[in-house]
Amino acid sequence: MTDVHPLGSLVRRWSKHANLSGDDVEAVFSLPFTRRTFGKDAYIVREGQITAECSVLLRGLAFRQKLLRDGSRQIISFHIPTEFVDLQNSLLSVADHNVQCLYRADCAIIPRQALTDLSGKRPAVRIAMWRDTLIDASIFREWVVNVGRRDSKARIAHLLCELILRLQKVGNGPEEIYDFPITQEQLADATGLTAVHTNRTLQSLRKDGLIQLTAKSLTVLDWEGLREAGDFDELYLHQQI
Amino acid sequence: MATDEHPLSGFLRDVTAQAPLGSDDRATILNLPFKLRRLDAGSYLVREGSLPEHCGVLVDGFAFRQKMTGEGARQIMAVCIPGDAVDLQNIFLDISDHAVQMLTKGTIADVPRAALQEIVLNRSTIGRAIIQLTLIESSIMREWVVNIGRRDARERIAHILCEFAVRLEVRGLNPSQGFELPMTQEQLADATGLTPVHVNRVLKGLEADGLIERRRRHIHFTAWRALQDVGDFTRTYLHIPGEDQLEVAFQARP
Repeated sequence: MTDVHPLGSLVRRWSKHANLSGDDVEAVFSLPFTRRTFGKDAYIVREGQITAECSVLLRGLAFRQKLLRDGSRQIISFHIPTEFVDLQNSLLSVADHNVQCLYRADCAIIPRQALTDLSGKRPAVRIAMWRDTLIDASIFREWVVNVGRRDSKARIAHLLCELILRLQKVGNGPEEIYDFPITQEQLADATGLTAVHTNRTLQSLRKDGLIQLTAKSLTVLDWEGLREAGDFDELYLHQQI
Repeated sequence: MATDEHPLSGFLRDVTAQAPLGSDDRATILNLPFKLRRLDAGSYLVREGSLPEHCGVLVDGFAFRQKMTGEGARQIMAVCIPGDAVDLQNIFLDISDHAVQMLTKGTIADVPRAALQEIVLNRSTIGRAIIQLTLIESSIMREWVVNIGRRDARERIAHILCEFAVRLEVRGLNPSQGFELPMTQEQLADATGLTPVHVNRVLKGLEADGLIERRRRHIHFTAWRALQDVGDFTRTYLHIPGEDQLEVAFQARP
């Protein structure tokens, strides 16, 4: 059943977080949801809106962002398939940031009340859900470090390492990502740099023989070198659990 | 802290603000086993990479979350205030992904991780309240990414001062219009991705513009609204108990 149910991949991932019983799995599969496809750049969640639902990304990529009063944007994290893009909103009533699609995305949208009921009744599911949000938080902390204390080259290299490791989990890689969908402007917004600075930094990583970048793909030529350039240690992704 | 107060009462207030706890739930929290420790400024409560066995509740004093980069630069990622549990995330993450250090001297109540795991699992209202606390921390973390990533130095410092003031006020720890900032300029720099020299210049600028007054570490807000404006500060991301619900009611008007 986990192969055909749209939430099957979510259940498989959650099974690594917590000991889900057969009844727990059944309860997740009984969650009401609707499928919705979003176009490139479409908003899944808007800052300030009352939260009525949470979305699991089934296909595509999404990112969290906030817009500033001067019109600039800060990207706060990226999301890959099988992840909730806004699980915190199952308990927080007002969205504190936006979630946007990087390109066409397919979501399963679950009513908030159904999720809180489920986590209230099923401790193992509660733990699995909570772990998801705790890992999100760990990634946010690492991003504070990345924008706060790493130079531009290390920031970009760090972000690329994170994206590659996470994308590998959904079938990309190992070290080559075809269809690398993130623009230089988005990389800039995720690292607190300008687009020009980001471009220069990518060129420099290329000249150092660490990556190869075309309009369509990103290839890592020297994974260890890229990790070192990015001061990257994947402990914060908590993937060992 | 009043000396006759239960060491976990600040934490209990914080949890209760998140969800209506019954008397059973309240007793469960106050009956958590704990060990008190007096700590000096700079002491480590949690080390990055360690396997946590306790979760520390800050009884008095201030603490901060930090990571060191490979080059030895430090980034502060959050300031913990009295009543905060400093490593709730470690209840269900097995390896600590950052360090927590005392900012001032203070008292910590170490609660066994297993005891917290048990109440989060077995008491759904407490579980929900504690999870909400971590979700709010997480929201603050997102705001810090924005603060450092896209605001200039003056905005960053003004923002962090506003955030600190509001958090203290919500906790009932900010009696007047100002507060004792427990951070050195170097620590402020580490929290905002700036250099101490830059922080010093910005603080002087805020003072010259009549936005704050400083006497040693004491910061007095002389123009609170203007300071919030300078810092591009809106408090919604703090999800202050009651305020989200107010927004829900507001948006539901016919």
